[in-house]
Amino acid sequence: MFVGKSMTRKVITIDKDANVLTAKDKIEKFRIRHLPVVEEGNRLIGIVTDRDIRSAYPSSLLNNGDREEEVKKLSAIKVRDIMTPHPVTVSPSCTIQDVLLLMQQKYVGAFPVVDEKGLLKGIISIRDLIRAFITVLGIEEPGTLLCILVEEKVGQLKKIVDAITEEKISFGSVLVARHWEKGKRAVFPYLLTVNVGHVKRKLKNMGYTLLDPMEWYMDQLPKT
Amino acid sequence: MKRTGFLWDKRYLLHDTGPYHPESPKRLQAIYQGIEAGNLLPHLRLIQASRADLNWIQQVHSKKYIQRFEEACRSGQTIFDSLDNPIGPVTFEIALLAVGGILDTTRLVMEGQIDNAFCAVRPPGHHAEKNRAMGFCYFNNVAIAARYIQNQWDVHKVGIVDFDVHHGNGTQHIFEEDPSVFYYSIHQHPSFAYPGTGREFEKGIGAGYGFTLNSPVLPGQGDADYHRLMERDLFPAFKTFKPEVILVSVGFDGHVDDDMSDIQLSTSGFSWIQSKIVEMAESYSKGRLISILEGGYSLERLPDLAKNHVEILLNS
Repeated sequence: MFVGKSMTRKVITIDKDANVLTAKDKIEKFRIRHLPVVEEGNRLIGIVTDRDIRSAYPSSLLNNGDREEEVKKLSAIKVRDIMTPHPVTVSPSCTIQDVLLLMQQKYVGAFPVVDEKGLLKGIISIRDLIRAFITVLGIEEPGTLLCILVEEKVGQLKKIVDAITEEKISFGSVLVARHWEKGKRAVFPYLLTVNVGHVKRKLKNMGYTLLDPMEWYMDQLPKT
Repeated sequence: MKRTGFLWDKRYLLHDTGPYHPESPKRLQAIYQGIEAGNLLPHLRLIQASRADLNWIQQVHSKKYIQRFEEACRSGQTIFDSLDNPIGPVTFEIALLAVGGILDTTRLVMEGQIDNAFCAVRPPGHHAEKNRAMGFCYFNNVAIAARYIQNQWDVHKVGIVDFDVHHGNGTQHIFEEDPSVFYYSIHQHPSFAYPGTGREFEKGIGAGYGFTLNSPVLPGQGDADYHRLMERDLFPAFKTFKPEVILVSVGFDGHVDDDMSDIQLSTSGFSWIQSKIVEMAESYSKGRLISILEGGYSLERLPDLAKNHVEILLNS
């Protein structure tokens, strides 16, 4: 779960002295939203986002002639004029969890990844996090989600894992919702099999309640 | 009364999945008993399986995969590709008989010797990918049948309806770029059920965009939701597409008493679904409809479900 493993390594960057038109071309060509700005030696000095570029651009509502005139002027505007200098960065040894919490706090969509010398090593964006979480949840592999309600006491998860392992079923992932209802937790094993009838009966016989997954699902929806 | 074919072969019982596996030979015995007890056998054209020509299987699966499967069975391996897929020495042969029986049945329908048919085969097929066995399936029976029809007859548009409670990932992937085969599936929502595909936004790729359609059903839902979703999604889609033949991937595992899913279809709910598919076949496909068994594991419910299914075909 380290940033170094989940980040995008082939970063599309832009030179601080490039003009805004070049930045716009790059963002459109590579379908990205963040361009780290570098100087000699790949040293990070800022970041420019597609929002920065849009703000610099004349309104698309202007009539064509006026707009072309204005766009021409943009060739004189340098990336360094519109970039955010000293952006928040992370290091390759930060974790995905760090990045999630930091994103929530800073309201940004991507962090440049730099080493201790300030050199750009990669970028980690919401898109990379989505990829990482799809992998963690195991949901690209075919499987079935179980929803098990357990007493909040030591050793419950072990019993469940053992019961499933005895059936020679592999796990895609296991999620635990700690605050389900008073004194209860909910365990969500994602099992890499279609064949869950037997293991469900077994868990019920062990005294566990198998939840209607809808209950959990509805719980995740915004309350109206 | 229609001339309805019924494919069933004792040899389908020989694919041995072991003592605790839900995809057991008892399923086919239960289906046969239900149809027999309903006194339907005298009205049906009984069809025996024959071995499929490998050329037809290669229309869907790679040569390499077919060889790998055959070798795994012959060399005494007990699992193929996934722990869900147990094999024995004869599994490859039985899978060939399943495909062969379906192709023979398909030919009878296409030649007009029978009107429609129910193929009670094992092993099932809709999870099988071009190069991978999955979810109890080895050869994608329904996909091979679709290709066979398109190759042998002057038929361009094939419609597949899959109401097994699990999404037919194999069938979808085989045809997702192909606008000549419309794949519709209604199944338990992939966030809760195997195999995790068949989301509403999966609609086909490239030229095939718009010719794949999925209706995920949430856990706990049943008859009324199937009515609503099929009316919203399937009926208008087939009205536009107008399939020349309809193939049905039949799965009875969405029944409320089947513990493979959290879907609560009733026995009459299944009859409603099948009646509606038959109506579409009458409207668009000259009645040509071939049902192919996929899942369904409740040995108590299978006899009635199969009997009703065949009755609807006979009386359409």
